[in-house]
Amino acid sequence: MAELTSKERVIKFFKKEPIDTMPVFSGMGTVVIQAVNEMGVKFAQVHTTAELLAGSALKSSEMCGLDAVVVPYDMATVAQAVGCGLTLYENSADILYPTVPNKWETLEAVDIPADFMKRARMPIVDEAFNILIKDGRFAVGAWQLGPFTLAGQIIELGLLLKGAKKNKEAVEAFLTKMTDIVIESIKHYESLGVDFLNIREMGSGTDLLSPKMWNSLIQPHLTRIFSALKTPAVLHICGGTDMIVPLMNQCGADALSFDQKNTLAKTREVVGNDVIVLGNFDPYGTMVQMENPADVETVVKKCIDDGVDAVWPGCDLWPDVKLDNIKAWVKTSKEYGKKRSPVIGRI
Amino acid sequence: MSKSKEELLKALAEAVVEYDEDACKELSQEVLDNPNTLTPMEAVMNGLAAGMEEVGRLYDTHEYFVPEVLMCADALYAGLGILRPHIPKAEAGVNAQVVIGSIQGDVHDIGKNLVKMMFDVAGWGVHDLGRDVPLEQFVEKQLDTNSEVVAMSAMMTTTMLGMKKVIAMIKEKNPECLIMLGGAPVTKDVANLFGADGYADSAGNAVSEGIKMIGRLREFQASKK
Repeated sequence: MAELTSKERVIKFFKKEPIDTMPVFSGMGTVVIQAVNEMGVKFAQVHTTAELLAGSALKSSEMCGLDAVVVPYDMATVAQAVGCGLTLYENSADILYPTVPNKWETLEAVDIPADFMKRARMPIVDEAFNILIKDGRFAVGAWQLGPFTLAGQIIELGLLLKGAKKNKEAVEAFLTKMTDIVIESIKHYESLGVDFLNIREMGSGTDLLSPKMWNSLIQPHLTRIFSALKTPAVLHICGGTDMIVPLMNQCGADALSFDQKNTLAKTREVVGNDVIVLGNFDPYGTMVQMENPADVETVVKKCIDDGVDAVWPGCDLWPDVKLDNIKAWVKTSKEYGKKRSPVIGRI
Repeated sequence: MSKSKEELLKALAEAVVEYDEDACKELSQEVLDNPNTLTPMEAVMNGLAAGMEEVGRLYDTHEYFVPEVLMCADALYAGLGILRPHIPKAEAGVNAQVVIGSIQGDVHDIGKNLVKMMFDVAGWGVHDLGRDVPLEQFVEKQLDTNSEVVAMSAMMTTTMLGMKKVIAMIKEKNPECLIMLGGAPVTKDVANLFGADGYADSAGNAVSEGIKMIGRLREFQASKK
């Protein structure tokens, strides 16, 4: 059996071509603290230079045996670039991801600078992609928040949620503006030459929105985004998703990713065997909390038995993982995933 | 003709369920204008809070989602703002305080605000620290105010570990203090592991749980009569 490189495996995977075994990767952050520590820097620093961002991504995937690298790690890059500021938590002893301290208070007050892609840390992220692509060993993944989740980073989420009922036209216009930002940024990453994309509309699950509202408020924007992309693209939503699986599947994504709240076996039945399904272990409960790697093996096997094409965490890996648990994820995926998955054949 | 007690309570509850802020204000004023019909406390607990209980039921059955719940909360607050100043302290029933906030690293506060509503309705003294709150501030505020409950929310996995530290710090200094955890990534197992006393697993469940607690407080209130 021909053995593929990590990069080849992931690229073929998204092209739905036969591969040697199940790729092990994620479209969300997979940086591990062991890699950051080995680099001799603090977690707060890795978000601040292209070298540290790319370096920590590469080292993490080397250490863990993953097939891809993904940057950035925090959700604040665009919000910072459009003027919401940044809190890095440099003095915290804990692992904390950067956040935005300021949000606009009304939809009308939001003023997006035309050159936001050149502001704040956006050039750092670009340069990190260049480093990762040049390295060439791993598939390179870029992600962006979906319009609704991005909106929640720059204005009060409550304003948006209530506005969706009370002031629908203004919210609709605002989400169109957010969609433009998402498309501009993700198309730019596409032009840099990344191998796959992930749109994370994680704030739109049915914990918050009704399927009816998802259909009218979220779906049209996501459909516009996916129709603008040429690179394989994933739609990821965490939280409650069972009720919106068919709607998610209509958005035009090449793959759908779910977290542990999704009833995955049922989801596979609903979407059939044409679309790639990714998921759905609890990243904290599995990679950090489990004391015995054999328990991780059970979780990974269940994901595969439920019908995923690759076993993804439901969110960013919590960086303070147990490396043995990560290795169990990788080993089980590769061994138990030697058989074909619902969508992807084997060489 | 002015409304009977039952009619007024029903109308208040319906105004909350239908997220009609204006009606909540008008009806609350009507309560004050007709002091012989019902007391402001009855109007809050058996009118506004009863309406919110129905909202909780509608959320549980997926008829309402968070946008509707938030608007119902606004309607409830519109009435509460009018009625609360007229409730005598002795009648408020609960003489307790809570420290509430979203933990450092978390800039979301929907769940926190919904849980806060529960305490506001029940007449607790609420110390709202806001969002992205440094861990020490929870401990300091609890010690300053000797609050009975500390309620913390973390919407993202990446911030929830800070809760463990706060719980340990508070429990060390004040073992009697009850800790409530809420936020999307916090599972019951995690809450148990961290040593918390209460748990709500999402903004929605927070309100659902919060509303159930309002229900228990209403029963408690009724049993005292």
